[in-house]
Amino acid sequence: MTTTTPTPSGRGVTAAMAPDRDQLLAPVVRRVIGWLTLVSLVALALFGLWGAPTDAVQGDAQRVMYLHVPAAWLAYLAFFVTAAASALFLIPRTRAQVWDRLAGASAELGVMFTGLALALGSIWGRPVWGVWWAWDARLVSTALLFFLFLGYCALRRVPAADPVGAAKRNAIAALFAFADVPIVHFSVEWWRTLHQKATVFNPELNPQIHGVMGLTLWLGTLAFTLMYVYLLDRRYRLAVLEADQADVELEQAILDRTRARSAHV
Amino acid sequence: MSPAPARRPRYVVAGIVVLMTAAIAIVLVFVLSENIVFFRTVSEAVHDRDQQGRTPFKLAGAVVPGSIHRTDNTLNFEVTDGKRTVKVVHSGDRPDLFKAKVPVLCEGRWGRGLVFDSDRILIRHGAKYSPPKVDTKRAPKATSA
Repeated sequence: MTTTTPTPSGRGVTAAMAPDRDQLLAPVVRRVIGWLTLVSLVALALFGLWGAPTDAVQGDAQRVMYLHVPAAWLAYLAFFVTAAASALFLIPRTRAQVWDRLAGASAELGVMFTGLALALGSIWGRPVWGVWWAWDARLVSTALLFFLFLGYCALRRVPAADPVGAAKRNAIAALFAFADVPIVHFSVEWWRTLHQKATVFNPELNPQIHGVMGLTLWLGTLAFTLMYVYLLDRRYRLAVLEADQADVELEQAILDRTRARSAHV
Repeated sequence: MSPAPARRPRYVVAGIVVLMTAAIAIVLVFVLSENIVFFRTVSEAVHDRDQQGRTPFKLAGAVVPGSIHRTDNTLNFEVTDGKRTVKVVHSGDRPDLFKAKVPVLCEGRWGRGLVFDSDRILIRHGAKYSPPKVDTKRAPKATSA
């Protein structure tokens, strides 16, 4: 990049831009969300296993839905946050380190939720479809989404002498990878798949799910969303601490070397 | 710092971005390719019977009620898409949810005439979820109605 001058190594983006928030949520808010996550997960377990009625066609196997579907939705949400934060980083007027770190933290959680959706979908598919996996458009595009953002997470760890330039490229990569999200969602409408069509966010926007089952699904979505927000805050904090630690280590190394030199004199 | 070592990660980064773009391109190729036709309906399969020969494909239809017969080592039934109906000779497992009226995908190839040799059945369930309906016709009538 010609527009940015290389910053002294080790200083990271901090030196190039004004330092900004070192945590996402106030500690009180974080703790409340943490407890609400636990409570809603327990409620989800109770409703998912006993509260919701057994499905007429699939029997108890259908209960996997209450984890599989929220996991898939949260993957969409997490990658949307990554894409939006990346866009905000790319726009010079809004460029701030918080967006880069938020994008990275959210992408890791998105990969986790995509992995969960794939694994739980496989566990659901075996008793119901009769197979663990099928090469249909929904499954293949979801697996691709998993690997795209896994690649993005790897890309973020490639060391760079120009941190702002690297962050820009990461942001562009995130926007490319996000293009797969609408493909995953509409795959069941655009192509013939083994995977069933959307139950809730169908083109008619008319949920095809019985009352208590629908309620349980929303409870699962709430629990997973709270979990996402909590983990996002924790992962963001970890990124801040890692950068601080790198700075401390650099200062120490400089100090050690200066001392060693003065001892020789 | 000399510019040479600073350049190298950029190529690594650019390479990974290119790989990601390529992955998206693969999806688009997948979209346009024949592979995207995950299954064929009974009518389509019957229409393409002669060109298809013995090439494997997936046949989609609903199981015709009353057509299910078990032999020593096969499961015989008929599938329909409402327009055409074909006989299926299935050798393999019988999925738990297999029964009359259920939409199925049979993996296999055309046998003699319009008989489909299946070696795997996939169940295509719908996207509607509900508890079992109470059969009001068969349920004993409560008091006077």
